[in-house]
Amino acid sequence: MNAATRLGLLVSMTFALALAPAMSVKSAGPTATLATPESFSSIGDTAARSAALFAEAGKVLTSARCVNCHPAGDRPLQTDAGRLHQPPVERGADGFGAVSARCSTCHQGANFDPAGMPGHAHWHLAPREMAWQGKTVGEICVQVKDPARNGGRTLAQIHDHMTNDSLVGWAWAPGYGRASAPGTQKELGALLDAWIKTGAVCPT
Amino acid sequence: MELSRREFVKLMTSSGIALSVSHATFAQTPAFATRETLPGRQSWNPAATGVGRIDGLAKVTGAKLYASDFRAADLPGWPANTSHAMLIRATDATHVFTGIDLSRLSGALKPSRVVTAADLATAGIRVPAFYAQADLFCPVGKTPLYLGHPVALLIFEQFDAFDQARMALRDPSCVNYGQETGAVAIAPFGAYRFVRVAGSTPGAPDVYSPMQAGWVTPRRFLNVDLPVWAPANQKGPADAQASFYGEQIRAGLAANNPDQLVLDREFQTQSIDPMFLEPESGIAWYDPKSKSLELVVGVQSPMEATESVAYLLGNARGSFKPALIHTHCAYMGGGFGGRDHTTMPLYVALAAMFYPNRPVRLANNRYEQFQSGIKRHPFKMRSRMGVDRATGKIRAFAADHRLDGGGLANFSAQVATVGATAAIGMYDIPKVDVSTVVFHSRAVTAGSMRGYGTTQVLTALEVLIDEAAAALRLDPIEFRRRNALPTNGQTMAGNALIGVTRTDEVLAKLANHPIWQDRATERARALQQRAGILVGTGVACVNKDFGTGADACLASVEVSPEGRITIRSDAVEMGTAIGTALANRVAAIIGGVADEVAMAQVDAFAPLGLVTSGDPFSITQAAQDAASRNPRWVAEISSPSSASVGAHFSTHAAFEAARVIFRFGLWPAALDLWGIAKTDPRARQWDTARWQQRKLAIPGLPPLDLASVAAKAHARGGVTAAMVHGFNRWSWTNASFKIAGETYTADIDALAVRTGTGTAKARSGSTTSDRFVPLNRTSINIPPAINERIGVAYASTCGTLVRIEIERATGSVRIANAYSVAECGQPLVPEVVVGQMQGGFAMGVGQALLETMPLYEDGPGNGKWNLGEYVVPRATDMPLNGLEIEVLPPLKPDDPPKGMAEVVMIPVIPAILNAIYDATGHRFQSLPVTQAMLKGVLK
Amino acid sequence: MTTMRITINGKAYGPTEIRDELSMNDYLREYLGLTGTKFGCGMAQCLSCAVIVDNPDGSSQTMPTCIVPAKNFAGKSIRTIEGHAQNGQPSVLQKAFVEHFSFQCGYCTAGFVNEGQVLLERLAKKPVARADLDKTIQEALNGHICRCTGYVKYHEAMRDVILADAKRYVS
Repeated sequence: MNAATRLGLLVSMTFALALAPAMSVKSAGPTATLATPESFSSIGDTAARSAALFAEAGKVLTSARCVNCHPAGDRPLQTDAGRLHQPPVERGADGFGAVSARCSTCHQGANFDPAGMPGHAHWHLAPREMAWQGKTVGEICVQVKDPARNGGRTLAQIHDHMTNDSLVGWAWAPGYGRASAPGTQKELGALLDAWIKTGAVCPT
Repeated sequence: MELSRREFVKLMTSSGIALSVSHATFAQTPAFATRETLPGRQSWNPAATGVGRIDGLAKVTGAKLYASDFRAADLPGWPANTSHAMLIRATDATHVFTGIDLSRLSGALKPSRVVTAADLATAGIRVPAFYAQADLFCPVGKTPLYLGHPVALLIFEQFDAFDQARMALRDPSCVNYGQETGAVAIAPFGAYRFVRVAGSTPGAPDVYSPMQAGWVTPRRFLNVDLPVWAPANQKGPADAQASFYGEQIRAGLAANNPDQLVLDREFQTQSIDPMFLEPESGIAWYDPKSKSLELVVGVQSPMEATESVAYLLGNARGSFKPALIHTHCAYMGGGFGGRDHTTMPLYVALAAMFYPNRPVRLANNRYEQFQSGIKRHPFKMRSRMGVDRATGKIRAFAADHRLDGGGLANFSAQVATVGATAAIGMYDIPKVDVSTVVFHSRAVTAGSMRGYGTTQVLTALEVLIDEAAAALRLDPIEFRRRNALPTNGQTMAGNALIGVTRTDEVLAKLANHPIWQDRATERARALQQRAGILVGTGVACVNKDFGTGADACLASVEVSPEGRITIRSDAVEMGTAIGTALANRVAAIIGGVADEVAMAQVDAFAPLGLVTSGDPFSITQAAQDAASRNPRWVAEISSPSSASVGAHFSTHAAFEAARVIFRFGLWPAALDLWGIAKTDPRARQWDTARWQQRKLAIPGLPPLDLASVAAKAHARGGVTAAMVHGFNRWSWTNASFKIAGETYTADIDALAVRTGTGTAKARSGSTTSDRFVPLNRTSINIPPAINERIGVAYASTCGTLVRIEIERATGSVRIANAYSVAECGQPLVPEVVVGQMQGGFAMGVGQALLETMPLYEDGPGNGKWNLGEYVVPRATDMPLNGLEIEVLPPLKPDDPPKGMAEVVMIPVIPAILNAIYDATGHRFQSLPVTQAMLKGVLK
Repeated sequence: MTTMRITINGKAYGPTEIRDELSMNDYLREYLGLTGTKFGCGMAQCLSCAVIVDNPDGSSQTMPTCIVPAKNFAGKSIRTIEGHAQNGQPSVLQKAFVEHFSFQCGYCTAGFVNEGQVLLERLAKKPVARADLDKTIQEALNGHICRCTGYVKYHEAMRDVILADAKRYVS
């Protein structure tokens, strides 16, 4: 496949992602991979290359593993299809669940595969300002860069969070019955690193 | 098997196997029967003072009660270790099954025994007729008949191996398939046509009806399940006449008659899971030394379960045929019809027989329960209704029903007929033609479930009625009132409903209720003041049958010298509080609330020596006449607990037993204590006696407490215990017996009595067969065979109003207020009637708004459905503070109780749909109406 | 494998070697025969499997047992339905559920008793305003599915128990 075709493909993919309808949080499937930063080197324009890198990272951010806990409302989502969480629990005052239904009551320190129950020591909902459900990759990008909505983080801290945080890392070891996020956490980190180095441009 | 003081009695023999539902008594470990006889003499009896249920304390303290609670160690005389079994089920019903691959189960995970179709064939296992549409295990080389069709049973000696194996077997599937064949086609489970043409004047005989002509079935089927009815011929046989009149009715509806409003609508309902909280399970042990098989199961049909297991093994070879089968029937964690006639007891029995001398437990998890549990039939209905514009009277109704029965037949034919004969609900329509077909498919088996066809048809009907009222600009309740079938009116089968019809009263209650009165102002208020909220109000009223047309009941009642009361009944407890209902009905007659009520008893009634033959639903008059000359013959010995039979039917035998004790034991004893001579006119005035707080009173004499009267009854050798059987085919069998020199006639067909035992000491777990003497009936009057043509005879009415709020932006529905009013004769446990109405309301909400499942490969047959996929109502879906319940008092104080547990679930469903129409202007023609669907119609 | 030690209703159990994959529900029902704690769905949707965990700091909460490995309960102190009645006398809440006819088949009742008891103990430490009572009860109990009753009488019983001792539970 020549560079022009690949560029065409990547651009159309970005375009398609940008136009993605609100609720399409399609799981990339258990064997979905992430492209390496090097594979974007054929995009000459730095801004375009930067946006394309984030769009690739966006495959992870828009996967069910992430969007399910970055919901638009106060109720988490679940499963690869991203349906409303059953039972109908809500974020509560601190994002860790209502008084009578703390997330950690069911979602304990680790996945419990015999019951298909995901778990992690810090299971909770991302704050409302970090909602990704229904947003395009471009909108998520802007949001992620905005200190008012990203927990006051610098780009370096964003990178650190995505690359090293163990709750984020859960997305690649989600347990029985759940598709992993695409690629690996390390690969995501590499893409974001390259994105930052190329000016952290957001896809439109 | 060593059990002390155990009795097993030959209740009947099936192929040389003695059957028994006995209870074992044992010194240290409480016997099963002791656990299940509530509340027990040592325990708090909330029912004694009316503050709770007889099983209340046991349930609220977590006592072992349910089949799923029992392990081998809990059962006296059983080996201590419990082994565990699991079923492997097919998730493909369109390819040939080629075998299972268990190679991933190695080492400790290897099953101790694998049972397949080949093993059943070698052992000579038979499938009982009711279940025989399919092999119990799909054999290699055949296409599974339905999704979830078992292909093998795996048994593991120890729990840990079982637990690890079931995890290992999750994915990928261990079941292999070969050639694609498509789904297996078998004949439809049933098809009927019900046509009625009323006489031209009130009171004139029908021109044609199912009562007169019999039930009509198609001549043949096209393309497997399209019925071909007899060619129309007014002078031909019954089915040709049905076609003739039916086609006339349809032609009338199709004619372009400006005087007639005709609505022609299609309505469809969804597959529903009963979703009782306790998944089906059982535990069983076969002792090869004594050739005795013992099972513990939780079923609505104890007699049928026992007989089916007996048939299963009745022709088996050698070690696979027991000499004795004991079935212990436990309390159930919900039933709703889904535990009546299921295959679970068969597989439990097989597990034990193929793993002798070791108790084996087979239990569904919730995925497996969704995959294999009985479902509600989805209905596709096309209905046409013709209303005279000038008078607002419904002139004609025609409908065609199609039901997907899933894999096994179960009660499909009966659901179809009950649905068809209920198709015109509470209305009086002189020309009716309803056809119904229930066909086989590869879906999970559909069968008996609360409502039994009426839920589906009455929802469609009440939506259609509302639409007709709107088209005619008539008040919806007035339109219903105008068309209501009055007392003694003819149903569409051509028989009169029994008893007083109270639809007028219920409609009046609905009309006068503030929810109805304020509907316009509330809707307007929302539009003005509550941006983004639409308010609507809906009403529905239904009359639903109770009873099956062949309802048998068995009970014994005993009064001890201290005045303590024990009741044994063949009914089963699944939440309905039948034990408390029995105790209360008996208490009204003999003065005290029982402190021992044993349910699911069948062989405790051995002294009656009952025999039966034939099918009570289809026996001919001649056969019945001949058989009933045997004083031990009854049309049916014991019936399942279903069809809202608890109040009216299941308590009947105990009621009649109590009457015998009162009349021939307590009353003569009281006369003695009062010094009233036999010749005194008051001696025959037992009807004037009243019990209050365990004291018997007649006017002008000091009240006598029950203990004194009971002691006297014992001392003078009066009747202190009675055992009764009753049978109802839309009226009670009636017979006479000679007791104490008198001829006693009652609505029963078998009676045994026990006279005063002097100083009997309380013996827990003792059988009631000590010195019960059966009395031969001197005359018998059994309801005629022609009653088999009746569709609905006994009915109760329930009406519901709902006010809903719809959030425009999301389509979500909130029920703001609701009112449900019903009549059920004499409520035996009033708080439970209210509780049933609340629970029925919730179940209706689920069916209207939340619950649904695809039928085939994406549905629960794929083994992937649980409560995350199948959403049932939670407290937040209920108007907890806004649901008003009213139970109309009985018309007369001694009115019998009427069945109501199904009817109270139904009207809420169409009321919600009618409210949605009121709020949005959109009339939905299917269930459920989900949030997404609502959002879709709101612009 | 884990060595399981646990206190249940004041009684010490173990040490028992258990597999790490053994669920707490199976540990209670298969290993200990304590079947008062039920199995309804295996997905924490119905909470008929919920028990009370009593934390060292004096707080308590319910926890489902079907989706949690038994080893996560090692060293803990829990209460199951079998532990509420004392000397055959039901607790105030159990008595209220009986006298209100709150349950029918009774299979969900253990979960409701545990949840209701935790709510009472929480309110005793931190009462709620009367105006917030219904919402508080609803939030506490909404995780529990009942198929028979429509929930009304469970909620009525809870409210009546709380209001009967309003000084303790309501601010």
